[in-house]
Amino acid sequence: MSIASPPRLPLRFFRWFCHPKLRDSIEGDLMELYEERNVKTGKTKADIKFTIDVLLLFRPGIIRPVEGHQQLNNYGMLKNYLTISWRSLLKQKMYSLIKIGGFALGVAACLLIALFIKDELSYDKHYANHKQLYRILGVITENGDLRKGVAFPAPMASAIKEEFPEIVNAGRYNNSELFGAGASEVGAADKQDNAYDEGFVYFDQSLIDMLQLKFVYGNPKKALSQPGAIVITKRKADKYFPNENPVGKALIVNNQVDKPYTIGGVIEDFKTTSHLQFDFLIGMEGLEFWNGEQKSWGASNYATYFQVEEGVDVKSLETKISKEVIEKYVMPEMIAGGQSEENVRKFFTEKQAHLELQPIEKIHLFSEGIDDNLVYGDIRFVWLFGGVALFILLIAAINFINLSTAKSANRAKEVGLRKVVGSLRGNIINQFLSESVMFSIISFVLGLAIATVMMPYFNSISGKTIFIPWEEWWFAPSLLGLSVLVGIIAGIYPSFYLSSFKPIQVLKGTLTQGAKSSPLRSSLVIFQFTISIILLIGTMVIQKQMNFILNKKIGFDKEQVLLIQGTGTLGPQVVAFANELREVPQVAEVSTGDYLPVRGSKRNGNGFWNEGRKNIDPTVSSQFWRVDQFYLSALGIKLVEGRNFNRDLASDSSAIIINQKMAKELGGNMLGKRIGNYAGLWTVIGIVEDFHYESLREDIRPLGLALGLEASVLAVKLQAGDMNERIQSINKVWNKFAPHQPIRYSFLDDRYAAMYSDVQRMGKIFTSFSILAIVVACLGLFALSAFMVEQRSKEISVRLVLGASVNSVFQLLTWDFLRLVLISIVIAAPISWYLMSRWLEDYAYRTTIGWDVFVVSGVTSIFIALFTISFQSIKAAVMSPVKGLRSE
Amino acid sequence: MKKYQLGEFEEVVMLTVGVLYKDAYGVSIKKEIETRLSRGVSVGALQTALKRLEDKGYLKSFDGEATEERAGRPKKYFQITALGKKAMEHSKNTRDELWSAIPKVAWNAKLVTGHQSPVTGNRQVGN
Repeated sequence: MSIASPPRLPLRFFRWFCHPKLRDSIEGDLMELYEERNVKTGKTKADIKFTIDVLLLFRPGIIRPVEGHQQLNNYGMLKNYLTISWRSLLKQKMYSLIKIGGFALGVAACLLIALFIKDELSYDKHYANHKQLYRILGVITENGDLRKGVAFPAPMASAIKEEFPEIVNAGRYNNSELFGAGASEVGAADKQDNAYDEGFVYFDQSLIDMLQLKFVYGNPKKALSQPGAIVITKRKADKYFPNENPVGKALIVNNQVDKPYTIGGVIEDFKTTSHLQFDFLIGMEGLEFWNGEQKSWGASNYATYFQVEEGVDVKSLETKISKEVIEKYVMPEMIAGGQSEENVRKFFTEKQAHLELQPIEKIHLFSEGIDDNLVYGDIRFVWLFGGVALFILLIAAINFINLSTAKSANRAKEVGLRKVVGSLRGNIINQFLSESVMFSIISFVLGLAIATVMMPYFNSISGKTIFIPWEEWWFAPSLLGLSVLVGIIAGIYPSFYLSSFKPIQVLKGTLTQGAKSSPLRSSLVIFQFTISIILLIGTMVIQKQMNFILNKKIGFDKEQVLLIQGTGTLGPQVVAFANELREVPQVAEVSTGDYLPVRGSKRNGNGFWNEGRKNIDPTVSSQFWRVDQFYLSALGIKLVEGRNFNRDLASDSSAIIINQKMAKELGGNMLGKRIGNYAGLWTVIGIVEDFHYESLREDIRPLGLALGLEASVLAVKLQAGDMNERIQSINKVWNKFAPHQPIRYSFLDDRYAAMYSDVQRMGKIFTSFSILAIVVACLGLFALSAFMVEQRSKEISVRLVLGASVNSVFQLLTWDFLRLVLISIVIAAPISWYLMSRWLEDYAYRTTIGWDVFVVSGVTSIFIALFTISFQSIKAAVMSPVKGLRSE
Repeated sequence: MKKYQLGEFEEVVMLTVGVLYKDAYGVSIKKEIETRLSRGVSVGALQTALKRLEDKGYLKSFDGEATEERAGRPKKYFQITALGKKAMEHSKNTRDELWSAIPKVAWNAKLVTGHQSPVTGNRQVGN
């Protein structure tokens, strides 16, 4: 009788999933039924029923277990592996400690940096429409440098919105101190005391709409729609109007009682991951800073944001906007100003001027070189940090690999015996992999603890407020997954290596693995030290540049200058205040000058031209500062030609003092000549030596000083002596003039140093990480040298017995490792030289790297390594040879 | 008593194994249940139940002969163990106890309200 066969696919499926113990009998049942049905109802129906039966058999109880049916046995082996791992961990406490401790340090560093990077990447993603929001950038090429700006004319936002249907909404803000944004003295209208506060900005209602800022009080749609309206953040509402809804109340800014602001709403504080960080949003409704300002294309003061329609091709929109704005608005404006069309066209083609749309979520990390008083991150830091973290983890993993293979001799017998009693190579690999995963998990737990402890310190050097996201659902599982993954990666080489031992050799005792330093182990040590030395050199170069910046002759005297801030509220009385300060015996000079040579002071960019050449020559773009006649002496700025201002001369109201750079750009020999800007004609009465009024990253740019009274800051030059006492006496004078406002002051040199806080921060981070890297690398070196001494203890004993000196034994043991460190120095030097040269290129004024850096870091690393090794070498060299030889 | 957990289908399987005595294997049990209880039984459900009962120790199995129509696969015969017998007895006893604990009135009450139940149906005809 021929037997019809059931469909193959279900049968194979059944054979695959079925528990082996049940397979035969159930398959028999199925066959019997199939045969019967085949006869009764025909093949097709039998096939279908067979398939259904198979599918219904696919259920727990019949499906075989995933890990094979010998589950119990496997579990037992795993338990045995872990027990053995644990015992060997306890047996070699020092090595285990170094393995786990080093690993934990690496994990902690990686964890901190991963959280840092996550934070950096999360900027501005919380805004509801962030995918459609763009900031517009103006880009020009000047002398080969790309210059980017965010300030645009007031009417641009509305003009573009009207002309391009793709643009749903447009909004602007203005945070220029020229118009009173930035810092102010504030008080609630019904209270007398003022407080100093920062974060003032002029803000469009439409920008609130686009960003969908969350409101605590007030109507989001109309918060800034009335003239004189202001929106404040929750924290400021709590400060000025505790426990009440302040909507509709009045806020007095800078004692302008006649011009109170009405609170139109209270928003939640800006998230720390927002590139915009303001506290007082002043409405732009009905506001004009001068007549016709809101319609003028001649002044650029507004950062402008757009919301585009979903699915719009932004690249082509960008080109369209760029062309439109330049040709339709900017060029006609310049031509109307009197320049020839040819000149204007030349200007735009020469400088490759164009507009770019920058996605809001890229603003934080990709705004390097934009100077608009916002604080940005830097994508290069993200890469740098990520790289450093990875390298530290690698160094730690190398320790793990090196120690595991070096100590293999101790485990060789175990491997041999396991093989003899029937372990396959796969089992041994499994064993060592599970051991390394166990190590990894312990290290991760420890690393997590270290990271938690180090978090405040890390926050302080990175300038962040990161915390460990314990509650996030992904945190624990991903950490566990990572620890297993890292454990497997680190364990692959050692487990393959260890499992390759031949039992017969091992058990005969002819195998002395690890006694000589294997080439792999040596190159891994070289790798570790190369990375450490690169970090060390980086640290030193950053320190050197920082010293260079702080000690460079910058053209003015920043020492002993006290800056009294918030004097704007004194109004005209500020002159009397300054005069009275001059009476204080320790005060050398007082100047009313808002424009100070440090970042964060007032700035005023202007175009200048020689008299009569306005539309013929290109204008010299320059700073134009209003100061008083004491400015130069208070700041110790040197006059090279001509004279200082003299208030008694009526003609000095149109006098200007320029810096050497300006004189050069205007054609040289400027003393006595007349130059013009938007405000009129000025006679050059003096030329001052160039001084660095911006960061040393930039070249000194042209500058013109004219008499004026803009006095929200007083610069007080003090004589040397006890600072506290001086401040006391100055405070006394202040209290006479402004009893309701606490004095607020800073020192010019502190403000100067603060300009380079990012360099300092980077220096600190580099220092921390290079220390960490060196510590971890040295831990490894320490353990390796200890192991080497252990291995060679017989040899050393014999040498000592035969009369070798302590010195020669020491040399013998040290040289092997020192050689590796020397090679590392040779490799690290050119790499770090290249990297640090690239970093220094950011600075127009920079230190030289110099051979001293390499010598010092080389010698340092040799000493550290020597110190690490010598601990073991000396111990070995001075030990009694009997100890080493006794065992035989 | 938790000790003798026996589900409804499991009990049916146990009883059928008893009925078939020496001839209880997969296909025969399936057929027996299908004819006696006139309900369909899938191989999957039956095999799962058999395995569970075996795991519990109520049934024991031994491999039988391989036949041609089974493509050379052995039959797996099942037998009730002593523990299985206890479990079945326990199950039956608890049912009997429950039956006898139902008061007579309950049947009458059902009659008055006119509910058609298989038990009262006959009586109605008799009236």
